[in-house]
Amino acid sequence: MNPPDLQALKLGDESAWDAAFNWLWPTVFAVAQLKLQPFLPDEVEDMAIEALEELVAKVRSVNSVEELKPLVASIAHNRSVSLLRNRFAKKRGAGKTESLDLPADDRKPKDEPAPGDSPLDSLAEKELAARLKKSLTELKPPQGEILSDFFLHGLRYEEIAKKRGVAVGSVGVYLKRGLEAMRRVWRQDENS
Amino acid sequence: MSNERFFDLAMKVIAHQAADVERAELDAMLGSQPELRAEFARLETDARMTKDALPMMDAMEATAGEFPVYARERLQTKVRQTLGRPAAKQEPDRSVAWGWRRILGLTVATAVVLFVALPIFRAPGGPVIEVAMLDTVGTVRGSDTNETEIIKQQWKNSTFQSFDKTGRLENWETNWPEGNKVTAKVVYDRAVGEVRVSLHGLEKPQQRTFVIERDLAATIQEANAFIQEHTKH
Repeated sequence: MNPPDLQALKLGDESAWDAAFNWLWPTVFAVAQLKLQPFLPDEVEDMAIEALEELVAKVRSVNSVEELKPLVASIAHNRSVSLLRNRFAKKRGAGKTESLDLPADDRKPKDEPAPGDSPLDSLAEKELAARLKKSLTELKPPQGEILSDFFLHGLRYEEIAKKRGVAVGSVGVYLKRGLEAMRRVWRQDENS
Repeated sequence: MSNERFFDLAMKVIAHQAADVERAELDAMLGSQPELRAEFARLETDARMTKDALPMMDAMEATAGEFPVYARERLQTKVRQTLGRPAAKQEPDRSVAWGWRRILGLTVATAVVLFVALPIFRAPGGPVIEVAMLDTVGTVRGSDTNETEIIKQQWKNSTFQSFDKTGRLENWETNWPEGNKVTAKVVYDRAVGEVRVSLHGLEKPQQRTFVIERDLAATIQEANAFIQEHTKH
């Protein structure tokens, strides 16, 4: 699927927006699902639609079509985080903030958030979008794949080496370079 | 002890993949080289942040999933309200309407002429009619499609949408097309057994609820009569 024509989007062209909605949907839905599925699964689709609505309002500030996916992903992420905070604040009483990513402590059900925010949750929408876009260019193949294999899928060095066709001794090197790239993008405030 | 060994052990411990002997080896390293503790803490932070960011990055490359058809009208309405319509797609009769309004203000004689001529210049087909059905129990997707057909038969040229959640319907009901085109929104609430009609773009907005007493067909005819009555000039 090709990216939509940004100029046509800014002019409110109906068919360009139809193309954009189809092109952006997998991304915006995936982000909403990522944040809401464990807690508010019924809200995932509505959240994705609301994020697209907000994108419409912000499209005139976009400079290139490549910014659209990171921006809509950031909108969906931050809206989802706000929704979860509101719901959990209401549930447990106003004034308490909760992490949306860490496992709960022993006194709470395992499927509920625990104190301590994710580093991403504190980023403003534009900042988050910019870092997401930068991450995709900073991570050179197969660094991103190997980081995912190791941290998200729990594969061991030997399994990664076999899956990616690299030497076992190289897996650590890729992990190290990948982590350094991520640190440059996501912890730039601390690095500077 | 090399940096590579320390890094690999740290990764395994952080990812809960380390064997007891590897964990002990790392502990020994940290004990003998306290400066590595800060590096280990930094790797833990990097790893946590990476675990948070990677799924977001994966999401940007996602291709699965189809945009839901029911959301299109809502989003296109937002596009029209926010960005306006492209010049080539603007409704052609607006300037004509404004022209006639000026003429209307001139003389009684002109008004007589207009009285005869106005219907000719009115937008074809009368008001825009948008129809929706709310079915919170999901029977619409089952065998009972007859009701859908009855509604579509009554308003053949109208958009028709089906909702299974009240929130989405409310959003649809409050999203009116831009401009002053007379628009009717008709909602068939299946669970409640009523048909609601809202008229927008009139001097005074109108709304009426028709309870389904006999059958749906008769009720939507009543609803249609209500629309025609309030939108005729």
